[in-house]
Amino acid sequence: MYRYDEFDHKLVSDRVNQFRGQVERRVSGALSEDQFKPLRLMNGVYLQLHAYMLRVAIPYGTLRSEQMRMLAHIARKYDRGYGHFTTRQNIQYNWPALDKIPDLLDELAGVEMHAIQTSGNCIRNVTSDQYAGAIADEAEDPRIVSEIIRQWSTFHPEFTYLPRKFKIAVTAHKNDRAAIKLHDIGIVVKKNDAGEVGYEVHVGGGQGRTPFVAKKMADFVPKAKLLAYLEAVMRVYNMLGRRDNSYKARIKILVHETGEEEMRRMVEEEFAKIDASQMLTVPEEEIARISAYFAPPAFDTRPAESAAFTQAQADDADFARFVRANVVAHKQDGYAIVNISLKPIGGVPGDATDAQMDVIADLAERFSHDEVRVTHEQNLVLPHVKLDDVKTVYDTLAAHELATANLGLISDQIACPGLDYCNLANARSIPLAQEISERFSDLDRQYDIGELKIKISGCINACGHHHVGHIGILGVDKKGTEFYQISLGGAADENAAIGQITGRAFTEEDIVDAIETVVTTYTDLRADGERFIDTYNRVGMEPFKERLYD
Amino acid sequence: MAQHAAKGARFQAVTANRLSDGEVVYFSPDNRWVEAFAMAEVADGAEAAETLLGRAMPADFEAHVLEPYLFEVLEDGSAYKPASVRETIRAAGPTVRLDLGKQAEAKAE
Amino acid sequence: MTDYHLVIDGATADESWTYLDDDAPLTEAPSIISLARLKDEADALAERSAPLGIVLRADGLGKTDLGEDVRELAPFIDKLALIAIHFPAYRNGRGYSAARVLREEFGFKGQLRATGDVLYDQWAMMNRCGINAFELAADIDLATFQTALGELSGAYQPAADQNRGALWARGK
Repeated sequence: MYRYDEFDHKLVSDRVNQFRGQVERRVSGALSEDQFKPLRLMNGVYLQLHAYMLRVAIPYGTLRSEQMRMLAHIARKYDRGYGHFTTRQNIQYNWPALDKIPDLLDELAGVEMHAIQTSGNCIRNVTSDQYAGAIADEAEDPRIVSEIIRQWSTFHPEFTYLPRKFKIAVTAHKNDRAAIKLHDIGIVVKKNDAGEVGYEVHVGGGQGRTPFVAKKMADFVPKAKLLAYLEAVMRVYNMLGRRDNSYKARIKILVHETGEEEMRRMVEEEFAKIDASQMLTVPEEEIARISAYFAPPAFDTRPAESAAFTQAQADDADFARFVRANVVAHKQDGYAIVNISLKPIGGVPGDATDAQMDVIADLAERFSHDEVRVTHEQNLVLPHVKLDDVKTVYDTLAAHELATANLGLISDQIACPGLDYCNLANARSIPLAQEISERFSDLDRQYDIGELKIKISGCINACGHHHVGHIGILGVDKKGTEFYQISLGGAADENAAIGQITGRAFTEEDIVDAIETVVTTYTDLRADGERFIDTYNRVGMEPFKERLYD
Repeated sequence: MAQHAAKGARFQAVTANRLSDGEVVYFSPDNRWVEAFAMAEVADGAEAAETLLGRAMPADFEAHVLEPYLFEVLEDGSAYKPASVRETIRAAGPTVRLDLGKQAEAKAE
Repeated sequence: MTDYHLVIDGATADESWTYLDDDAPLTEAPSIISLARLKDEADALAERSAPLGIVLRADGLGKTDLGEDVRELAPFIDKLALIAIHFPAYRNGRGYSAARVLREEFGFKGQLRATGDVLYDQWAMMNRCGINAFELAADIDLATFQTALGELSGAYQPAADQNRGALWARGK
C-alpha cells in the first residue's frame, strides 16, 4: 500500500499546524464561528447532537495494522472507546474535544493518517473496491488511480470552495463493490482491445434529496489523460454549479438541468484546453512509483486446496457457515479473502471497540500481509489470508464478536448514525437496525432468504444509502413522531437503481412487521435461485404493496 | 441552524453546544451555561422566550458556545421535559448507548 | 485612501486605481469598470489611453444567475491592465476557476486582484490560482499575509503558479 515520502509527511504536518492555528484563532475570537466552520469541516470536524464528531480519512478503505492500532488508541485516548466505520470507508469518532483535536491529528500524522477534506465543499475521500488486489479479474488494482486522484485532489487550490461536496469512487471489476454509479464521479478501470488501461468516467450520481444514477460521460479516457479529464469536469462544475440553494448544488443537478449531451460537450471542450497544456499528464516514473506500492504482497506458492481448511469446516458447523457467507475466493491459490462482520445480531452496525480494533490489527499483521480494508457497507476485510490460517483467524474473530456469518444477508444492514448522534437526522436508525437484526436473528432463516441488503437512513441526506437498498428505509419526522418509509428495488452495484417508495410510512411499532411482510412476500413469490432483488425486478412493486397495505 | 420550537410553543428553554468540547449545555437563570437540562431556565410565552435568547447571546457568546437556539419544553409534574425526541436525546445521550452521555453521568452520581 | 490594505506581489502597495460606477464619467486615471460597461462602451474606451481595469462580479442574482462569465473577457484581454475578481462570500469559489482561466487559458499578464470576502484561509489558494493582488481588511498586516501564504509548504498538483506539484516533481 502507499507509503508517505517526506513530501507527504510535511504536507500533512503543515496542515495539522494550520488547523491548530485556526482553532486558536477561533478560541481567541479572531475567527467567528461562521468563518471557522468551513475550515473545521475541511479538517473533518462536525458538530453533532452530543459533541463534536471527527471523521478520519481511510483512503480507498485501506489500512496497515499500525494504522488500525492507532485508530484504537485514538478511540481510547480521545474518545469513548469505540469508532464507527462509514459508508465512505472512513471512521468517525463521536466524542472528541475541539481543543484536543490538533493533538489527535498529530498522532494520526505519525502513522500517515489525517482528516483532510473528509467534509466541506471540496473533493472528499476517494473510495474503492474492498477486494482490490485480492480478487481475480481486475483490470488493474483500482487503488493506483485512486491514490493519484487523492493526491491531485488534496489542497487543490481551484476546487476548495465548490458549490457542494464532491465524492469520487473507483472500481476495476465487473462486480462493482464501490457503488461508483452513485457518486459525483464514478470511474471504471478497464482495458481496451489493445490491452491498455483506461477509464470509463461516469458523472452526476448521488443520493440525498434527489437521487440519480450517474451518466457515462466518457467511455475510455487514456491513463495519461485522466487528471486532465477530471479537472475539466471539476472546472465546469465549479463555474456552473448552482450556489443559490444547497439542495440543488451537487453536480448531479447540473447534469440533470443541463442535459447529458450538453454536459459532455462542455466537459470535452474544457478537457481539450487543459489537455493541450499537458500540465496534468503525470510522468510515467511517478505512475510507476505509485503503482509499485500496490504490487501484490509476497504470496507463498501454495496449492489451491487446503486440507486443514476443508477439515475444519467438516468439524465445525459454525465455521462452515462462516466460510459459506464471509469467505471469498482469492486470486492467489491457497489464499482467501475473509470478511469481518461489524453487524452482530442486535449490535450497532459499523461500530468497533478499541479492543476489537486491536484484535483486528493483530490478525492483519499476522495473517493478512499487514492489511485490512473497510467496506462501504460498514464491514471490514482481511484481504490476504492463507486458507490454512482461516480457521485460526475465525476463532479469534469469534472470541470478539466479529465472526457473525451474515455477509450480504438481511442482518448485514447499513445504518447511518441517525437521531441518536446526528444533527441532521429526523429519526433514529440504529434501534430499527437492531430490531430488524433481532427479528431475523436465526441464521438458517437468513440463509434461506439469501442476499438482501437493507439500508437505513435517518434523514433525506441518505448517508445510510437507503435509496439503493434492496429494501431501503427512510426515517421521517411527522409532527414530532418517528415514522419509517420503505422503498424497494434499489441497488448499488453495476446494475445501479434507485428504489421505489411503497407508499405510506410506518410507525415505529409497525415497521419491523412491515419488513417481515416484504420478506415473506418475496419468499412466497420467488422462483428457483432468485434473490430478493431478482424477484422484485420480475414481479414489480404491486404484490408487495398489496400485502403491505391491505 | 434548525430551530426546534414548535409554532405556538408556550414553554421554551435555550440550548447550545459548548465550544471547547461540543457538550450540550443549557442557559441557566444565573446566565451561565450548564450541562444539566434540569437547571435550564424556562421561559413562559413567546416574548419571554425571545428575551431569554437575547440574554443567552451577548456580544461574546461565541467565545463559549455554538449556535444557541430556543426549543420547546412541556410541563412534567413540577418540572419540565423537552418536547421533541431530538431534544430528549440531546438531554440524555444516545438511546443505543445508555452507558454514554449525560444519562450515564447521572447514573454515576 | 482606501478602507482596505492592498497587497500586490507580496508587498504593501498604494492604490493607484479607482472603481468607477457605471454612470460615472470616464477619466484618464486608471479605472476599474464593470463588464457591462466594457462591452457597451467599447468605442469610448478605445479612445482612452489610460490603464483600464474590469471587475468580474459573481453575485448570485435571481434564481440561478451565477454572475459574470470570465470567458466574456476573451476579446478584451489585451486591453486590460487589471482584472479584479469579486468574491461575494468566501464560500463562493467560482473566482478561483476564473483566475486560472485568465492566467492559463488567456495568458493574462496584468494585475489579477481579489476583492470582496477575501480572508486569511483563502489567500494561499487564491495565490496559487494566479491572483497576485489582494484587498485585505485594513487591520491585516503584511506579516500575517506572508504567514498565511506559507502555511502549506508544498503542493501536489499544478495550478497557475507554475508549481508543477509533487505528483510531477518527485524523483527529480
